[in-house]
Amino acid sequence: MKLNRLIRLILAAGLLTVAGCSSLGVKPWQRDVLAREEMQLNSDPLDAAIDDHMYFSKEASSGGRSFAGGGCGCN
Amino acid sequence: VPGPGTARRRLMAASCALLSTGAARSQEANVAPPDSKLLEDWSVDSALAYYHEDGRIQAIEPVVDVSKVYADGEALNFNATFDALSGASPNGALTSHSPQTFVSPSGKASHGYTTAPGQLPVDPHYQDDRIAVGGNWTVPITRLDQVSVGAKLSDEHDFFSATVNASIAHDFNEKNTTLSLGISNEYDSLNPIGGAPVPGSDYALSEKTGGGKTKDGVGVLLGITQVMTRNWLSEFNVAVDRFHGYLNDPYKITSIIDSAGNTTGYEFESRPDQRTRKSAYWENRVAWNSRWSTVLSLRYMSDDWGVRSDTAQVHLRWQFSNRDRYIEPTFRWYRQTAADFYTPFILDTAKPTTGNQSSDSRLGPFHALTYGLKYAQKLPGLGSRAESELSVRAEYYQQTFDERMPVPVGLQGLDLYPGLKAVLVQIGWRF
Repeated sequence: MKLNRLIRLILAAGLLTVAGCSSLGVKPWQRDVLAREEMQLNSDPLDAAIDDHMYFSKEASSGGRSFAGGGCGCN
Repeated sequence: VPGPGTARRRLMAASCALLSTGAARSQEANVAPPDSKLLEDWSVDSALAYYHEDGRIQAIEPVVDVSKVYADGEALNFNATFDALSGASPNGALTSHSPQTFVSPSGKASHGYTTAPGQLPVDPHYQDDRIAVGGNWTVPITRLDQVSVGAKLSDEHDFFSATVNASIAHDFNEKNTTLSLGISNEYDSLNPIGGAPVPGSDYALSEKTGGGKTKDGVGVLLGITQVMTRNWLSEFNVAVDRFHGYLNDPYKITSIIDSAGNTTGYEFESRPDQRTRKSAYWENRVAWNSRWSTVLSLRYMSDDWGVRSDTAQVHLRWQFSNRDRYIEPTFRWYRQTAADFYTPFILDTAKPTTGNQSSDSRLGPFHALTYGLKYAQKLPGLGSRAESELSVRAEYYQQTFDERMPVPVGLQGLDLYPGLKAVLVQIGWRF
């Protein structure tokens, strides 16, 4: 299957992330910025849930960040 | 030379980090000060959303989410959503130069409707209420591992869905890296109004089967979260899911047209009875300075129906100087290719050979743009809580069709691909 450019980019980024694990990161006392609200994964869960519901109802794709779900697709 | 204030902040940050039970994913727990009274409180996140499509559906959706993080890192979360949907839903038929008359799915004569020439056929009596509840329980099992289990139920007039999921996460590399693996199992039951049509059957004959239909799905998600630098967090997920069963939209039909472009009849849509989707998702959170931060996410998805999609989304957050307010513009770009069996109409001389067909525009080729803006304001907390947050956001969503099939002369001049325009307004309160 021919992969398009975006998936190549995402895969490359993922591989880089994994490969870089040992040298990346911070010491425990360097987590001040990471502790900020805006740096939490899924910092606005309700916004994300409401958006996901809208996209899920109107597009053929869903999920990615978390499980996609099948839904009814009847509206 | 760092002053005593800086040292104190770093010590506080270090103690927060040491208290953490997981790496990036569970850092929300770290945000709460190590005050046992506060940790025992439930935090509440609530929102009221209004969604309005140009000339079609509108929805009102209140959502509430309560969560509690215990001092040992155990976390409980419950949420409830209510949706009231009403308006006009496209039935899949093609716009025509002639008036088109349809019966309602229920077969009630009073709910039949006629679409004027040049208008997209929509069922004007669409109405549904949905209620969904969910819960999640996360338990640290060692200093570096945590397990999470959850369930979700969703019920509406003609549809019921139950999902369970479980995941395990492991931290390593001084909690800078988290690997997680999750599985999900969904069971859905459909009871279409007026019965489930026989896929691909003639609309005029109204061939329907009594009783319900079901579908079920299994999903697996593998994720890695990595602290890249002091101000950059990255998450990468790959996921696969597979659904099996009745995957049709029971209310969608496809127009059959002759070579002159006249509608000669309709057929109920017919989708394959299984679907496998694969996705890759990459999210990056970067704090540029004390004011600016961005979230950039990219997603690629493909399925064995022939749909390929690319999604890119960016959130820019700008904090006001004392961090009690922020403003957040959002932009999202989405593109999908059509499912192999998507067709806006069936030519009566060229019936699809696969036996599958759907004119559901959500399976068609289109791109979509979303522009959004959010404003949030921190307020004094209620009771023993440190603070609350009031927010308001608005989004504009627009779908545009990308490829248009050549059409017979009789259909020229009609807007066969009207796209979609929608607005979302939401107020949120977190305390």
